[in-house]
Amino acid sequence: MTRLIPSEDELHAYVDDRLAPARRAEVQAWLAANPHEAARIEAWRSDARRLRAALAGFGEQPGGAQLDLAQVQRRLRQRRQRRLASAAVLLLALGVGGLGGWQARQATWAGNELPMADAVQAHRLFAGSEALDIQASDPTRLREWLGSHFNRVGQLPDLSGYGFQPVGARLLSNEQGPAALLVFQDRHGQRISLFLRSPGDRYQRMPDGQRVDGQLEARYWSHGAYNFALVSAADDVRGAGVGEALRLGL
Amino acid sequence: MHDLDEQQWRELLQRLRRFALWLTRETGSADDLVQATVERALSRRDQQRDEEALRAWLFTILYRLFLDGKRRERLHARWLSWFGRAEQDCEAVGGNIENIVLAQADLQAFAHLSTEQRALLLLVSIEGLSYKEAAETLNIPIGTVMSRLSRARAALRDLTEGNPKPPALRRLK
Repeated sequence: MTRLIPSEDELHAYVDDRLAPARRAEVQAWLAANPHEAARIEAWRSDARRLRAALAGFGEQPGGAQLDLAQVQRRLRQRRQRRLASAAVLLLALGVGGLGGWQARQATWAGNELPMADAVQAHRLFAGSEALDIQASDPTRLREWLGSHFNRVGQLPDLSGYGFQPVGARLLSNEQGPAALLVFQDRHGQRISLFLRSPGDRYQRMPDGQRVDGQLEARYWSHGAYNFALVSAADDVRGAGVGEALRLGL
Repeated sequence: MHDLDEQQWRELLQRLRRFALWLTRETGSADDLVQATVERALSRRDQQRDEEALRAWLFTILYRLFLDGKRRERLHARWLSWFGRAEQDCEAVGGNIENIVLAQADLQAFAHLSTEQRALLLLVSIEGLSYKEAAETLNIPIGTVMSRLSRARAALRDLTEGNPKPPALRRLK
């Protein structure tokens, strides 16, 4: 009388009342003919019923304390606003930090780069030594040497009026290309030096100026294709005159 | 969710809390879970749902949040065990809902089921979700719903027939 023996799934669906009415009737009829199965199904059903009874009201908030929908919404809105605010603050901090960092970088750069610091450095290293490329007490020879390496430089003036005679010169180089150090000396062995090089990215053309660095004084200027610096002892009063002569001549 | 009147809202919360209590077995965590569920639902009110669909949807959110929490907990436990702390694991119902369970004999057998079996029976037998809705809520195929339901009912039957149970519900360590 039944078309098909119900599957296990169908039996569960029967208990949960999920069968189509026609099939439901068929299963019901089949169960009537199979009392053993019917008892098993009935036990499931009574388990479910007892569980429903036991769990009715289970989970009721003690004391009637309720989750207030409006309150939750208010809190959500606040949290969203706070999040937006934090994001804005974060963005601002990143912006300020980034900009500040960039400016600080430029500031430290500028701070480290005193004008013609390399000239003073070169003077310290080489002016006192004999490690010069050429030894030339004749101003003409020095002039020729300079002209052969730096073709856009002017006439090197004669500094004998200030008591200085050429000693020699040395070709140098740094990140920006070739540079030269020309060394002069007076009767007492006091040395001054002239430094020149091309202006580069880091060593821009600069306004005339002078500064004292320890025992030394540097006078610097830009002219033509080059930056120049005259480095002399800080207490040497002839520095100003020599600097002026070089500036005019070169 | 905003169309619900006071009474419907109250009933919905009670259902969510009941489900959460049987999952977390602890009132504090259950309340947190319900609150998180409501918050999540409110922040995603993208479409109108009727009350039935709304309920299934909320159960789904709650169960996902519960699983996320479990995953985090496991991760946390693994961290702790790396640092030499013992992992504490209690599968059976414990904590502060133990008292409620002890008071009702019918709940004792239910409390001995696995979390997955309890969740499914709650959804199908208590909340009246369809098999399809239950499958979506638990994020499992419908075939798994049927086999798990079959095993859960058989297990509940065994536990109930095995009565009288020992008077005190022991925690499985």
